[in-house]
Amino acid sequence: MQKKITQRGSGVTRRDFIATTSAAGVAATAFLGGKAPAFASNHKLHYLQWSSFIPDADAEIRRQVEEFSKAAGVEVTVEMINQNDMTPRITAAIESGEGADVMLLINNQPHLFANGLVDHGALMSELAGGDIYDWANGAVTVDGVARAVPLFNIGNAIVYRKDVFDELGLSAPNTWDEYLEVGRALKNNNLPVGQTLGHTFGDAPSFAYPLLWSFGGMEVDASGKVVVNSAETHQALAFAKEFWEAACDPGGLAWDDTSNNRAFLGQTIGATLNGASIYFVARRKFPDLADKLAHVNNPEGPGGRYHVIGPRSPAIMKYSEEQDAAADFIRFMFQDDNFSQFITVNSGYVQGLTPKWENHPVWDSDPALKIFSTNAKYGRSYGHAGPWNRASGEVAEKYIVVDMFARAVQGEDPKEIAAWGQKEMENVYGA
Amino acid sequence: MNAMVGETYVRRLVIFYIPLFMFVFVMLFPFAWMLITSIKPDAELYNPRISPFIVREPTLEHWESLFGTTLFIRWAINTLWVAIASTAVSLFAGVLAGYALSRLVFRGSTLFGIMIFVTYLVPPTLLFIPLTGVVTWMGLQDTTWSLIFTYPTFLVPFCTWLLMGYFQTIPKELEECARIDGATRLQAMSRIVIPLAVPGILSAGIFAFTLSWNEFLYALVFIHSPENKTIPVGVTSELIKGDVFFWGALMAGALFGSVPVAVVYSFFVEHYVSGMTGAVKG
Repeated sequence: MQKKITQRGSGVTRRDFIATTSAAGVAATAFLGGKAPAFASNHKLHYLQWSSFIPDADAEIRRQVEEFSKAAGVEVTVEMINQNDMTPRITAAIESGEGADVMLLINNQPHLFANGLVDHGALMSELAGGDIYDWANGAVTVDGVARAVPLFNIGNAIVYRKDVFDELGLSAPNTWDEYLEVGRALKNNNLPVGQTLGHTFGDAPSFAYPLLWSFGGMEVDASGKVVVNSAETHQALAFAKEFWEAACDPGGLAWDDTSNNRAFLGQTIGATLNGASIYFVARRKFPDLADKLAHVNNPEGPGGRYHVIGPRSPAIMKYSEEQDAAADFIRFMFQDDNFSQFITVNSGYVQGLTPKWENHPVWDSDPALKIFSTNAKYGRSYGHAGPWNRASGEVAEKYIVVDMFARAVQGEDPKEIAAWGQKEMENVYGA
Repeated sequence: MNAMVGETYVRRLVIFYIPLFMFVFVMLFPFAWMLITSIKPDAELYNPRISPFIVREPTLEHWESLFGTTLFIRWAINTLWVAIASTAVSLFAGVLAGYALSRLVFRGSTLFGIMIFVTYLVPPTLLFIPLTGVVTWMGLQDTTWSLIFTYPTFLVPFCTWLLMGYFQTIPKELEECARIDGATRLQAMSRIVIPLAVPGILSAGIFAFTLSWNEFLYALVFIHSPENKTIPVGVTSELIKGDVFFWGALMAGALFGSVPVAVVYSFFVEHYVSGMTGAVKG
């Protein structure tokens, strides 16, 4: 598998792609179909994952499940539920020792549920190898042991109204200072930047953390000591206040993850940080609007350019009595032909976790989404510059960083806010 | 409402009609909102510049989506079955327990009553983990029986506590007369006390039915297959995808999901009110 990954490097053509995926298909047939099923017919596997808003993505998973079932002689049940409901399901399953054999974990859940997950070290080496992005590796590696195998990522980017930008003579912002000026012009034309700073798990931290990091701020140092109260953090907070007043819709403080989707599609904002879902819904329901949209990565600051992104990682449960079949199922999903098809049906909504997928043909299918191909390489995890562990997860769950920025935009002194954030984080990490 | 002697129209307006209108408005607004949202085309749903209360071009596309692309009817049947069965089980246990705790004198009866009440206060968010183990042990995972079995964990304490209070308002003398006339304890209970307690039992039943109908967490954790889901879980798992909410279909699901509860309430509203205000009036 690792060899296959190396072969499909950059500069792949459509012909190469078809040839390679066909070869992978043949290899898959050899692996699963060319020999007797590895399992007796009474083996059953239960796979639990989120349900995507792209119907074809769920259909593709069902197709893979069906093919794997036939090839491996294992009866596989796939269950798809709302992402927000995954956590109680995982918790109940691990605590009771009964439930799905494989679950698609998100972000740093492998850290949170490490005790209930098998060691995926061998699978990780076989499937992800050394090419995988560091942040994705960190999301599943707990005390040096891989507790899941990162499969894909759902990125985020600033979606903006290209037509309005053209009309106002604006360019897509590359730096935070440029975004400030762009936002100012948008707000003066009654199409402000729409950004939530509420307690909502997606868009608020996806804005606050990268802003902190791009000014050089960080939550902890490499040793795990909380260092958020720094000059860089003060600068980031001061910038946030200026940006908010000049560029943003003030209602954003009360928004949840759906609000900016609704506002953008309702054409009351001109730019917002989001996944590609706004574009996809527009393409489906408001095609005229979709033609006017474009995406750009988060702006760069003195400390760099970052995106909060977390992998979706299939994980085998310790209690599962079908761990071998579960591992084969994960191998099947990772096969180049299957994963390539998964990326294709997602039309750019998901990204692979090794650089080679940046060259997948899907990125040439729609210019509006091409920027997402580069999204993953700017990924950084909560708890920088430490690991994405339980403590950094708790800081995120308590919205400490988000609240720091929410307080800043409401006029509180950046130094006082940073001191508060330092204290709150020390309570979590231990001083 | 007929005017009382000395009552003016203005006075009636202020103390009766205006509060009544406000109350009705508050009560019916969610239903109106659900209905309006469910028949609005997406173009109007996402347009903040038009009045949210006016539908310019009503559509049934969201209803079609709900009934055509999801298993809503199946979920409704499951929900109804689970709600009726768990309510029946809980009422049966609650009536017996409530009667025993209010009428029979035995050591620790008061403590037992308090313990039942405390049990009701344990939040399902704590109970669902150990209950998952029990459900698995009993082999009920992914069946509606898992819900019928677990819902009484919060319904029985509730029904018992409510009925204990209700039984205490029924004069003991009525039962004692029956006993003097030769009735057994069981006969006195079934022929004298329970008929008098029907309003209270109905109140407990309506509450239990509503709690079962709306329950989310246990249904989410114990049920896996789409065809076994209940309305609250089915609707949210099929119509919320990440940060994309299918508002029209969601509101249609909420509307049709709330109608049976409203029907149950309207059928039994008189009993329900008397159940809430006490039993046998002197």
